[in-house]
Amino acid sequence: MGTILFSALTLALAVFALTRRRLLWGVIGVGVHSLALAGLYLFLAAPDVALTQAAVGFGLVTFIYLLAVRRTGKLTVAAVETPCLIYQENERVAGLEWEILSRFGRQLHRDVEVVWASRAEVPALLQAGEVDIGAGAVFPREGEALLLSRPILPTRIVTGRWGPGPVGAVAGDRGQDFLPPGGTLYEDHAALAHALRRGEVEGAVVDLLHVRQWVLSGEIRPRETTDVEEAAFRLAVAPTEADVLRALDAFLTELEETGELAQLVERYVG
Amino acid sequence: MKALAAVALLGLVALLALGVSGVFPRPAVPSGEDIAAAWGAENVVAAIILGVRLWDTLFEILVYAMTMVGVKLGLRLLRWERPLPPVAETPLLRRSADLLLGPIVVFALYVAVSGHLGPGGGFPAGALLGTALLLLALAKGVERLSAEIHEPTLEWAEYGAIVAILALTGALLLVGRRGSAHLIAANLLIALEVAIGAWVVLHRFASSRGEV
Amino acid sequence: MEGLAAVALAIALVGIGFWTLIVRRNLIWKLLGLNVAAGGAILFLVALAHRPGARPPIVGLGPGPSADPLPHALVLTAIVIDFATLALALVYVVFLTEHRHTQDVRRLERDEERGWPQP
Repeated sequence: MGTILFSALTLALAVFALTRRRLLWGVIGVGVHSLALAGLYLFLAAPDVALTQAAVGFGLVTFIYLLAVRRTGKLTVAAVETPCLIYQENERVAGLEWEILSRFGRQLHRDVEVVWASRAEVPALLQAGEVDIGAGAVFPREGEALLLSRPILPTRIVTGRWGPGPVGAVAGDRGQDFLPPGGTLYEDHAALAHALRRGEVEGAVVDLLHVRQWVLSGEIRPRETTDVEEAAFRLAVAPTEADVLRALDAFLTELEETGELAQLVERYVG
Repeated sequence: MKALAAVALLGLVALLALGVSGVFPRPAVPSGEDIAAAWGAENVVAAIILGVRLWDTLFEILVYAMTMVGVKLGLRLLRWERPLPPVAETPLLRRSADLLLGPIVVFALYVAVSGHLGPGGGFPAGALLGTALLLLALAKGVERLSAEIHEPTLEWAEYGAIVAILALTGALLLVGRRGSAHLIAANLLIALEVAIGAWVVLHRFASSRGEV
Repeated sequence: MEGLAAVALAIALVGIGFWTLIVRRNLIWKLLGLNVAAGGAILFLVALAHRPGARPPIVGLGPGPSADPLPHALVLTAIVIDFATLALALVYVVFLTEHRHTQDVRRLERDEERGWPQP
């Protein structure tokens, strides 16, 4: 009976460990898995093997994996596709925030991996530790406890009016907090722009960068805009990664001091 | 190429089938109790590792030692461009490492010494000692510990352990003397060798990064 | 029954280990898969040594059949050697990451086709 129970546990742990997205969880899962395997050896009348497996598999192997992961791990970024800041171009990622993140990853010797997400998903991904950094116009809403980096680029949240009709915003964006009653929420900025074009809504609470992008693309120009709040583009960091935040802030300060940040802003935002 | 692969696969299947069919005579294997009694042990596994299959164990240890040399060389080739910021140490980790260290060392020694009587032996004891050294490193910080431990001495101890194992093995094989004293000595030497190898790996990995 | 369950588990472990080894593109994930597969192979040998109702192969634990001690002896050293080779593999993964700034095999292969970027 014990054998079958431990077999199921061992298999479940192995499957759990090998299906994780995050390497750290995989390493911890495999460590616990080998501990369960040692228990199974005990039931299979092999105490010598069990002792060795427990000491080696749980202690030493897990630890050298942890050291190697810490030395070389990935930096996972949950990105909301945003013009100028982080976007896909010919199957490659580009943008101001991407440029900063890839240089930062290079400095830490860590690969940067981008997971595309909608704005509303980003806080949950950060809280669950699935990703390290959130990028792409992340303005914290009221009550969202996110760690934020130094400001990269100042901006404003504005209400743009195209007509007297209802107002829309993007779900999870800061604009949602300022949405007047009766407003509509959309999944992302593209859906909001589409609704504006069709006249479903006649106003939007968004950041200035998106308004500018819509104007530049020439299709929808607001009749008037009113400022709602001063804000700045920042990168969000998962609450468990305080040392990443420190390193990121130091890196951003360095970029500002050498004037490279201004060059990057000039290049991507203009 | 495909025909060759098919022939190889068929040959393998045929060999397996022959193996289980009973065409080959099965060598008479002495019972575990006899082996254990012949080598002065109660744990049959220990009697096999340190008695019947001593050569095998010897070369496994040499493989282990060579791998450690490979790790040392590999990490020596690395040039770290920019060290990571060190991790802040937590008092909880330090206290628990302090508390666990003694019991683990004692248990490892017990496992090594009683390896021929009960479950245990040199290999698990060495891994446990390696874990103890790891805890020591966590408690004191790798830099301070490696300043206290003289690295060349450690390397000489490792090579000394290998030479001692070789000498002991040669003596056991040439003289043909058997007894629990030899098993205890061999287990202790193996534990020493494995622990030093584990320490070298952990220390090199950790210190090339700054701190544990 | 118990031995059979353990053999089935061993095969399953080797299966998912190799699956990870093939499907994942990150080198450390590949090593983790290899680790699980090696655990499955070891478990297979230990499960073969097991007999129904067997006791550990230590003299004086009472009557009845004992598990076959030979696979145990084989496997004991294999576990420790596994650790050593894993350490060696990880050293070279770290080495590769330090010099090529990636652990993704697809990126490594692509870079090799294009010629390595000169530092």
